[in-house]
Amino acid sequence: MRALLTLGLMLLAVPVLAAGADVSPGPKPARLPDGKPNMTGFWSPVGGLLDRNFGPGAEVAKTTGAQGAQIPRSPHSPLKSPYKEKYETGLKDAAAGIVRYDPTGLCMPPGMPRMMGAIYGMELLQTAGQVTITSEWQAASRRIWTDGTKHPPEDELLATFAGHSVGHWEGDTLVVDTVGVRDDVLIDQSGLPVSDAQRITERIYLKEPGILVAEITVTDPKVFETPWTHVRRYRHRPELRLQEFVCAENNRNVGSNGEPVFP
Amino acid sequence: MNKTTVTGWLASGVLLLACAQTAIAHHSASMFDFRKTETYEATVKKYQWTNPHGWLFLSVKNAEGAEVEYGVELTSPNLLLRRGWRPTTFQVGDKVTVVTNPMRDGSSSGRVVSVTKADGSVWTER
Repeated sequence: MRALLTLGLMLLAVPVLAAGADVSPGPKPARLPDGKPNMTGFWSPVGGLLDRNFGPGAEVAKTTGAQGAQIPRSPHSPLKSPYKEKYETGLKDAAAGIVRYDPTGLCMPPGMPRMMGAIYGMELLQTAGQVTITSEWQAASRRIWTDGTKHPPEDELLATFAGHSVGHWEGDTLVVDTVGVRDDVLIDQSGLPVSDAQRITERIYLKEPGILVAEITVTDPKVFETPWTHVRRYRHRPELRLQEFVCAENNRNVGSNGEPVFP
Repeated sequence: MNKTTVTGWLASGVLLLACAQTAIAHHSASMFDFRKTETYEATVKKYQWTNPHGWLFLSVKNAEGAEVEYGVELTSPNLLLRRGWRPTTFQVGDKVTVVTNPMRDGSSSGRVVSVTKADGSVWTER
């Protein structure tokens, strides 16, 4: 018995990639009964935190860590005042070790487009009239209406973290338009801001077996001089499944007085 | 975080947690100095398996030989699990060698780079 226990402890002590909690759902058909490409499944960003041991992306993950898996700003999209000054001040503060406000540090959802960074991977579900994407990090969820739903009129549009997304198919590409994102989300960990004028268009498609691509274009005329596009690639991970993530479990950025600890 | 001497009865999880809670923020990576690493021998006082971050609470001997309490941050259990870590990986009393990116302000915390157990196994998040 003791020997068995020792053996068990030894096995536990060996770090392995395969996790017992993740179960393979098996092969899936390339197309759904309605003829649309089958994107349903669990996806992790190429080069992201879950992408160890998979080609050159693994090196990216090693050198950049979590930030490498977030949505970065295009270098061809200069910021406008006053966002520019505020952003640059934030960068300087971060370099100096000053803690800057980040809603996700208060366990708030990352919002759009940051949630598409999906640093812990994301689950995409296609159902009739709706595509649902849940990013495991912060359990951030969004719904893309593909049933012909239109955006509500401006005075009925509730500003939300994920915004209001409508989608349609152009061939095998899901084209998504998102408005109504709150103006207090950040695009990435560096503090890149958004305004209430942010509009996001995405082209989501399967590029090759097991690779999903999202071309994410941000148009925010109050913040950026020009629209910019971030192309994100995700790898199908049939051996992984979405895990629960409840940030509030140990939300340390709220002090004992209930106030945020950010300056 | 105060560099409180940890006596036996003080080393309860509740007190350790309370100490860390008032001083340590998560998702504010700028508090860690990623250009530096710090290595120390430690005894595990608590291994906390919580989101958004796991934590190891440690007792560390300082230069004067006094036991100092450290709380060092891990990534999310969601990722640790997929890296082969388990809630049972560390037990209270385990002797470990910890490498961290230390706090910029010098307080007794840090972001874990690796943890080596007495059996020689090395635990990293990548």
